[in-house]
Amino acid sequence: MEEAVYDVFARKRRAEPLRHIGYVDATDDALARVYAWKTYDEENWFEMCVVRRSHIIPVNRIDGPYAGRATGRLGRRAGEVR
Amino acid sequence: MNARKFSPEVREALPRLILSLADTKRMLGIRYSDWLLGAPSIESGIATASMSQDEWGHARLLYAMLKDFDVDPVEVEHSRPAAEYCSASCLDEPFADWAAVVAGIVVLDGTLSLALEGFATGTCDAARRRVPKMLAEEAFHRDFGQAWMRRIGEGAEEGRERLAAAAASMLGAAITCLLPGDDEAELLAGAGVTARPADARARLARRLAEPLSALGMTPATDPPLPADWIASRRRPAGEPAGDAVERARGDRNRALFVE
Repeated sequence: MEEAVYDVFARKRRAEPLRHIGYVDATDDALARVYAWKTYDEENWFEMCVVRRSHIIPVNRIDGPYAGRATGRLGRRAGEVR
Repeated sequence: MNARKFSPEVREALPRLILSLADTKRMLGIRYSDWLLGAPSIESGIATASMSQDEWGHARLLYAMLKDFDVDPVEVEHSRPAAEYCSASCLDEPFADWAAVVAGIVVLDGTLSLALEGFATGTCDAARRRVPKMLAEEAFHRDFGQAWMRRIGEGAEEGRERLAAAAASMLGAAITCLLPGDDEAELLAGAGVTARPADARARLARRLAEPLSALGMTPATDPPLPADWIASRRRPAGEPAGDAVERARGDRNRALFVE
């Protein structure tokens, strides 16, 4: 079963912007939701979202954290699944 | 309704329902905690650790409800022998493998949540206040279990077989212990404290139909009461393994209690 990198975004209050708080590896969107919620549970989040890293489209740089060469915890690149 | 306003018969039966739910949550937390390490991925281990803590937190909230019946929850949590535990019998021994953990989340934790849903929407004020937050947390347990059930169901045949065997072995005990159809369950349902056992079992069958169909199973949700049924413990004869009860009671930390 292939896993992909999902980035996790969250905010504590409605008035705050979502900010990147980390990432998880998961085989599908359903597990990514659960892993994110259970891994980053140190705050009482108002909102949390996950985005599959390969779905993020870099706009002006190719060396940023979401660009094709960036890797997750297990050394996976953004568009890569195993 | 305030607990003190129920009829004497309901006031006698309600603590047994609470103990059954609380003890099952406590033992389920122990069984999940066996998999903090050794789960298939770091993320699944973290999720299992979190679920373990959820179950213990829920158990403490439920034990605290016993105060309304003049029962000391501290005594109940830390002093009872294994033979007095009211947890579902399928938790007496550890989960044998990850397939059993997944079956436990979907089948047992799912049945427990359904029993709590009936309690949360019934006539007991304390349950109406406390249980909805538990159920909100349980939604993540359900999603986790069902996602893993799909994952194993789409994988190798051996995994499917082990998962189906684990689910089949738990289903009867989960329903019998958590949604019993005995006289006391009917009494509580008649007082509006819980859902009618037949209605709850029908709802469970609908809820489990999709996840279990992936394993080629049809949930049989009307198991008879076993011959060794102990009404006062809402379970068949037997008890959880001693080491699990020692951990649940906190025997090795007894000198450090600050409560």
